Amino acid sequence: MRPRLLGSTRLRLAPVAVGLCAVILSACGAATTATHPKHTTKPVAAATGNPSSAVTLNEAGSTLIYPYLQVIAPQFNSKYSHITVAPQPGGSGLGISEAISGLVQMGGSDAYLSPGQASANPNLLNIPIAISAQAVNYNVPGAPANLKISGNILAQMYGGKITEWNDPQIAAINPGVTLPALRVVPVRRLDGSGDTFIFTSLLTKTNTAWANGPAFGTSVTWPANSAELGANGNPGMIQVCKANPGCVAYIGVSVENTALEDGLQEALLQNKAGNYLVPDLATITSAVTASSGNTPANLRQSLIYSSGANSYPIINFEYLMINQTQPNAATAEAVRTFMDWAISPTGGATGGNLSAVNFVALPTIVIPKVEAAINKISG
Amino acid sequence: MREILRRARDTMFWGLCLLALALVIAPSIAIIASLLQQSWPALNLNLFTNTTATNGLQNAILGSLLLMAGILVVAGPVGIAGGIYLAEFAPPARAGILRLGYETLAGIPSIIIGFVGYIVLAQELHWGFSLLAAILALSAIVLPYVVKTTEVALLQVPATLRDGAIALGLPRVTTLRRALLPPAIPAIASGVVVALAIAVGETAPLLYTVGFTSQDPTLNLFQHPIGYLTYVVYLNATLPTKLEHEVAGAAGLLILVMLLALIGLGRLVARRAARYAAQLPS
Amino acid sequence: MRFKLTAGGAGGNAGPTFLPSARKLAGADLTARDRAVRWVLLGAGLVPTLMLLFLTAEMVREAIPAFVYSGWSLFTGHVFTFGNLYVTKLTVHHGVSAPHGAAYGALPFIFGTLVSSLIALVVAVPVAVGAVLALTERVPARLQPGLSVFFELLAGMPSVVYGFWGILVFGPLLAKHVFPVLAHLGGLLPFFSGSVGYGEGLLTASLVLAIMIIPIIAATTRELVRTVPILAKEGALALGMTQYETAKVVILPYVRRGILAAAILGWARALGETMAVLMISGDLLNGFPANIYSPFSSIAATIVAMLDSALTDATGMAIHALAAIGVILLVITLATNLLGRLIIRRVSHGVVLPIGRGV
Repeated sequence: MRPRLLGSTRLRLAPVAVGLCAVILSACGAATTATHPKHTTKPVAAATGNPSSAVTLNEAGSTLIYPYLQVIAPQFNSKYSHITVAPQPGGSGLGISEAISGLVQMGGSDAYLSPGQASANPNLLNIPIAISAQAVNYNVPGAPANLKISGNILAQMYGGKITEWNDPQIAAINPGVTLPALRVVPVRRLDGSGDTFIFTSLLTKTNTAWANGPAFGTSVTWPANSAELGANGNPGMIQVCKANPGCVAYIGVSVENTALEDGLQEALLQNKAGNYLVPDLATITSAVTASSGNTPANLRQSLIYSSGANSYPIINFEYLMINQTQPNAATAEAVRTFMDWAISPTGGATGGNLSAVNFVALPTIVIPKVEAAINKISG
Repeated sequence: MREILRRARDTMFWGLCLLALALVIAPSIAIIASLLQQSWPALNLNLFTNTTATNGLQNAILGSLLLMAGILVVAGPVGIAGGIYLAEFAPPARAGILRLGYETLAGIPSIIIGFVGYIVLAQELHWGFSLLAAILALSAIVLPYVVKTTEVALLQVPATLRDGAIALGLPRVTTLRRALLPPAIPAIASGVVVALAIAVGETAPLLYTVGFTSQDPTLNLFQHPIGYLTYVVYLNATLPTKLEHEVAGAAGLLILVMLLALIGLGRLVARRAARYAAQLPS
Repeated sequence: MRFKLTAGGAGGNAGPTFLPSARKLAGADLTARDRAVRWVLLGAGLVPTLMLLFLTAEMVREAIPAFVYSGWSLFTGHVFTFGNLYVTKLTVHHGVSAPHGAAYGALPFIFGTLVSSLIALVVAVPVAVGAVLALTERVPARLQPGLSVFFELLAGMPSVVYGFWGILVFGPLLAKHVFPVLAHLGGLLPFFSGSVGYGEGLLTASLVLAIMIIPIIAATTRELVRTVPILAKEGALALGMTQYETAKVVILPYVRRGILAAAILGWARALGETMAVLMISGDLLNGFPANIYSPFSSIAATIVAMLDSALTDATGMAIHALAAIGVILLVITLATNLLGRLIIRRVSHGVVLPIGRGV
């Protein structure tokens, strides 16, 4: 007589069976079938539009681009009912890493790919969708709302050479201002950060010791400084700076409104021409015009410390890292649709959307190169 | 005189001990109070109808519940089966080794588990952010508790029940099913409850196996991140605005509510176990 | 328990030599179905051990390139950096290439992990033991279940909730009211004087860690105190000893070694604690805390903080470096756990003791 499975054994095997079924079913489900015809050759305008099946585009990374995506994603999602763009913060380092490993479809980053990353991942594109900038904020009770600071001074602050706010170098460029003998508390980003990348790019261009030492990157070898504090993300920088008098922090413009509301002061940063500026529409636009003339086809360009009397020194392309080869045609179409919409002045890059986060639109001279990159995306 | 000194020392010692007890009780109350205080303005229905993209918690709550269900389905049976083996079938030497194995596993830092999950499951096996990877990682963390409580529960079944089964010449499996497991089930259930309580509070392994998203969770096992409550507490605590702190507090409070519910459930089940054990001939 | 052939004896008493071995007899009662089920259950029983072995093997495998690259400087170096990813030049040590200027010195993390957990231990052990003694010896029996809920709550409280409370409430509270007093009084001790900071630092994190490890120390102590023979306690009371003297003369010596083991287990838990430390430690890089209130970093917190951007390193060395410090943490935690378990096993005589967090 064939032994039957005892009740308890059967119960014990049931979850395993359920699990196996779930695994098989989801593996089948992961390959979404698109009824949209697949384009194998790339015309100038590749197919975009609402795909026939629901596609979720996960984005994660830069906390500088995150507020912008928070503004435009809902608008896009309501326009294209089958595509959902789901942004997450986490820092540009996370954005690049997760785009490289395919954990997300789009990795947000203020930093372009490094030579090493590009050669290890030849299929990875960095496609900008806007121009952003970065402010330097400080929290010094009793100081004026806008103090003049240079990259050279900042490099020495973060290097531990300037330790008090009443240092003669700061006083020298701010005549008539008395600063307290408060300890300088530099705040840096703990996560791999595009903000760190653009900030340290400025420090590299203005201070030789910094250029020969930590240089620039999404994470650098910060000089040991026992007064230094760390923060996660741009909002975290605001939080830490708010809580620690004497702090100086680099904060992206997309959260600058919050920073100022929270009582942080904004520095007038010295540009290449020697003038001291805050980041606003005029100064950012001036920097963009001066620097985006010779953008390479791979779109990897630093816009830091550009020339021009009214050019703000820290501006950058806001990139989305996207894999050229998407897992299927529907996802590829969804990505292309989103990117085309995002850079279009009637789509995502409207004046209202951009000014909500203090961004500036991509210069028209760069748009063809961006579109060429978008057209490379296929599935 | 000596008597007074002795009494004084007695009072002082117990005063210090009671102070120590207060020092244990105070933080729990303080944490609960601060969670309530931080989250109070945000405690409304919006938490359940909005996702984290709009300062709600819907996706996080559903995600945490989904993870708990996954633990129940995976770690529950495997742990119980392992515990039964250790208590009933394993020769002493082998049982000792396996016991050492799970006790040591219980001591492994959760980030190590998250690290291996990230490298092996999410990347080398190309599972991406996957529910299955998260469940496996959480299982690695909670299995020791399930195995241990099952083993202990079976060891505490009165010897008379075993003797009766042997006297009847029952096969081992029937002994288990009819005589040993029924009285042990309440204690085993409380072990599973502990596993769920620990799973709902984990963050580090989940960060690296299932990521986070503001979308509601799906049942897709692979290539889909999901949200969960602990991440919201982690992220929002570092954000500057008051509303974000309130949402973090609310998430923490919800985790605590789930925890208290699980502790209460565990106690209820343990009480049933005691009542059942009292009925058995001993 | 094991199926016993002889009544009242532990299995395996040597009988007359013409009987089959105990082992052969032990399996004699199993039917075919029993054997099949036993195989399935053996599989399940192996899972935790296999997971443990897999985790350890995988971590070691990932860590080897970093160990080769850094050599002993992994343990002695002060600087931990992925290097400059934006220059194409690579640094090569011992045949392994890493980005330009990469250095993987883990001494600050090792220091931070050990010091924070030791301070936590020093605070937690007296409090946990005292609280358990109060709960078992002084508190009326009807209140005991109610009060022990708090121990379970502390054990089950998520790490991030501790971190949340630490950042927003506990840290600022300590910094504003306790630390200035401490800095004044303890000003003679070098580590206690100086800038008090705003709450994120070594002492805050250690105190929160102490609260987190109290449950496992308390749960272990509680089980041990239960093994004290009641006759000994009653005898002491009959002799007219106060309850304090009973505790001192009867209970504590009985459980002393067990408390040592409980402390070691609590220390192991504190070593591996991740999220709360990440949120409260202030995360100092490439240096050591200036005083007890300053930021520091621990191994586990550093891995969490840096792992998500580790793939930006195209050489892959960032992953290997984090795996290497993870292996250091693993070795320390495993060693302390095993040590604690060994001591407990020798002391507890079969009492079932808590694992992991103390639930």
